[in-house]
Amino acid sequence: MNAHDPTIHARGRRLLAAIVSVAALTAFGCQPPPKPGSAPAGGAPSANLGASASVKDLMAARGLSESDVESALKTYMPTGKKDDYLIFASGGQSGQVLVLGVPSMRLLKVIGVFTPEPWQGYGYGGESNKIIEMGKQDGRSITWADVHHPNLSETNGDYDGKFLFVNDKSNGRVAVVDLEDFNTKQIVVNTLVGSDHGGAFVDPNTNYVIETSQYPVPFGRKYAPLSEYKDKYRGLAMFWKFDRTKGRIDIANSWAIELPPYTQDLADCGKLPSDGWAFVNSFNTEMATGGTLQGKPPIESGASQNDMDYMHIINWKKAESLVKAGKAEDILGVKVLRMNVAADEGVLTLVGEPKSPHGADVTPDGTRVVVGGKLDTHTTVYSFAKMKALIDAKKYEGKDAYGIPILSFKDSIDGQCEIGLGPLHTVYDDKGFAYTSVFLESVVAKWSLKDLKVVEKIPVHYNIGHIMAAEGDTVSPDGKYVVAMNKMSIDRFNGVGPLYPQNFQLIDTTGEKMKILVDAPIGIGEPHYSQMIKADKLHPIKIYPPGTNIYTNSKDPNAVESGKERIEKRPDGTHVFMTAIRSHFTPDQFEVEEGEHVFIHITSLEQSEDQTHGFTINMHNIDLSLEPGKHENVDFIASKAGVYPMYCTEFCSALHLEMAGYMLVRPKGAPATIPVSSTVPGGPSTELPPVHSP
Amino acid sequence: MNTQSPKSRPAHPNAAPQKREFHARIQRWLVVVLAVAAIVLWALAYLRPWWQFYLFAPQYPNGLVLDISLTGLGGDFKEINMLNHYIGMKGLDEAAALERHLAVYGVGLVALMSAAFSLIVGRKWNWLLVVPGLLFPLGFVGDSVWWLYHFGHSLDRHAPLNIPMFTPQFLGWGKIGQFQTYAMPMLGFWLAIAALGTMIVAMILRYRLCHSCPLHDSCGATCPQKLVLGNVPYRVN
Repeated sequence: MNAHDPTIHARGRRLLAAIVSVAALTAFGCQPPPKPGSAPAGGAPSANLGASASVKDLMAARGLSESDVESALKTYMPTGKKDDYLIFASGGQSGQVLVLGVPSMRLLKVIGVFTPEPWQGYGYGGESNKIIEMGKQDGRSITWADVHHPNLSETNGDYDGKFLFVNDKSNGRVAVVDLEDFNTKQIVVNTLVGSDHGGAFVDPNTNYVIETSQYPVPFGRKYAPLSEYKDKYRGLAMFWKFDRTKGRIDIANSWAIELPPYTQDLADCGKLPSDGWAFVNSFNTEMATGGTLQGKPPIESGASQNDMDYMHIINWKKAESLVKAGKAEDILGVKVLRMNVAADEGVLTLVGEPKSPHGADVTPDGTRVVVGGKLDTHTTVYSFAKMKALIDAKKYEGKDAYGIPILSFKDSIDGQCEIGLGPLHTVYDDKGFAYTSVFLESVVAKWSLKDLKVVEKIPVHYNIGHIMAAEGDTVSPDGKYVVAMNKMSIDRFNGVGPLYPQNFQLIDTTGEKMKILVDAPIGIGEPHYSQMIKADKLHPIKIYPPGTNIYTNSKDPNAVESGKERIEKRPDGTHVFMTAIRSHFTPDQFEVEEGEHVFIHITSLEQSEDQTHGFTINMHNIDLSLEPGKHENVDFIASKAGVYPMYCTEFCSALHLEMAGYMLVRPKGAPATIPVSSTVPGGPSTELPPVHSP
Repeated sequence: MNTQSPKSRPAHPNAAPQKREFHARIQRWLVVVLAVAAIVLWALAYLRPWWQFYLFAPQYPNGLVLDISLTGLGGDFKEINMLNHYIGMKGLDEAAALERHLAVYGVGLVALMSAAFSLIVGRKWNWLLVVPGLLFPLGFVGDSVWWLYHFGHSLDRHAPLNIPMFTPQFLGWGKIGQFQTYAMPMLGFWLAIAALGTMIVAMILRYRLCHSCPLHDSCGATCPQKLVLGNVPYRVN
């Protein structure tokens, strides 16, 4: 054989060919396999649609017009398809926040905020109790709220999808919802006011969450007869400092401005050129207090005598520096800039606004403020530049009874738009149009910001309150959708007794004419405001890292790991360190003595999407939601001897019903039947199947 | 047929002696390069998963993935273990503890042998250089199948679900409960196969070099010519 025998070359080539084919296999083999049962690419058009009924037949059978079908096509969501936008809506008296998808208007979640929410285990024994307790006023637990105005956090005037703030009008509170997990993380209470309405509005970079009072009271709700209304009763603009890195309101660095006892109403923050300013309207500058039994007019007419009320123009950046310079007074622990200081320093200025105003909505470019008038047929368009020039020049028309300078109405406005009866709130699109809710006429009026002329009106059903547009109060509205938030539904839905659902109507604004696409009944409360954010701006997590306390956003010191489950008897009571994973609790039985303090520390060992367990011990008002990785601490007094089953309250798995156990409460002095130990060897864990004794 | 002495083997009639020597030098270095490439491929193979299981069920729309590498498991093995506890299967990460522990030595040995054989061993024995590289992937497959068999046949009879003993499908489609499974080799395995191929090419080159070696018939376990790195020129005439 020869070293250069051609046969060797040939053999080499064959081998090389073999290697090449292995490489080809590699490329093939690394492709994930096709999913079983997946439809062939492209998907053949459904052939049997016409077999059962044609679209025309279906339309005839259901009495639908072509326009209805068009609306259906614009809102229908086949299974698995997701909405483009999310609405965060006030839950009104429910004390909660609603999350709906747009355009389907499907309800995605009810976020527990001020009121216990059993599904999320919010306020039923676990860590969330601490959040609800933050909302105590005067030492009293308040477990309802009149939720009004949800506001999304902003960066440079645009929604950033990180946080949501919402106020409780009834009890003067503001809550912070973290949109990483859609959970309420903080409630702050305003200890000075009796109620709030102008909240919870944020400035373009969410430095502050603004909350202005509604019905004036003496600060701290201290007693003073109504005859001293003008002297002792006050309004307040609270500036809650938001600490973005902590995701919490920084109470210590928050401050307020004292306002006259006009009934302050809605507020909005300036943006772009007007950044650093806030605008708060008010009614009842007459300072009527009612007294119907004494023959005085009710507030409704007493407060409607003057032709003009006042919009408050607040230079909050300047106020902030005054507070930092120590010009604020400590009132019941709150730094308050007195109104005489605010007036002297040009921080607080008034300007007339037509009778019984409502809404104070800054335009996307930040140059104007639009105010509606419940008893006026116009929206008034204020020019920020004109107002600022007057303030800078100290050119005032006069001062009110409290010495606050008043600007000339005529010189402050760009003009008025003749809207109709009862214009309330105004939102904006991306094409220079404004949309105003017109309560008495039950219409949405679309008008041009250019010439202040109404372009179109569309009837809504009925008595529209707030109105909201897709990202409509940011520096860059999206257009596309407007939602009419109607106070009445009258004939729109099936009867469900005398308390009727509210009605959200989704309006398509993309066409030449506005068009109502779909109604969404709201059957949980009377929502006020809402905001709509592009869904892709939200990045919620799917699971928690193991052992997370969702209120500290960190690993709970009592987090339990697999194999470290135990029952510890300590001086303060019995501590049960428990884990939950399909389909068992470990330990699944424990015993305490009657009257003993019981602490349960429970961690979900799950790390799988949507694999939630619940936990309840019967008869103890305990109900926890254990999302994957979540840790909860619950404690209670086992006050009555007996046997109490505990079980998982979410249908977690095929053996969900078997995910159960017992708490035994033995009578005082009775011998223990279940051992207590701090070193109970590990039971079932993530890695190991349960150990069964034969 | 060849009547000439092995020490004076005829050169290729068409090649000039210098050119042939030049070719021989290139081939000697190619053997080194290929041996180094094999070592690199083995190192990469050690780091990458060798096998992958997909599990499909309605409530896992994206499927569950189990990656098997030489040192452990990756992907959703915790979730798969959690599911397996219902049928009383042991935790997959308990399997092959010794093998996983020894894997680094095994790979190191295979790599070292590749280098050693291609550089040191004489003609008669250098085919051995591909044997470890061949045995390793085979051993991996055999061992894995054995563990699957073992786990599927030692189910805890007290588990919530009592199913007949079984061996999970190691290649292609299979079915366990509501899960459809699909198993296939992954990059690590293919890298090992590529290393094997590289060594086979190196072996062929060695075979050719040895045939032109003056000590062709007299070499033993080691190569007296200091092999490809040695400076002793091969006879080219």
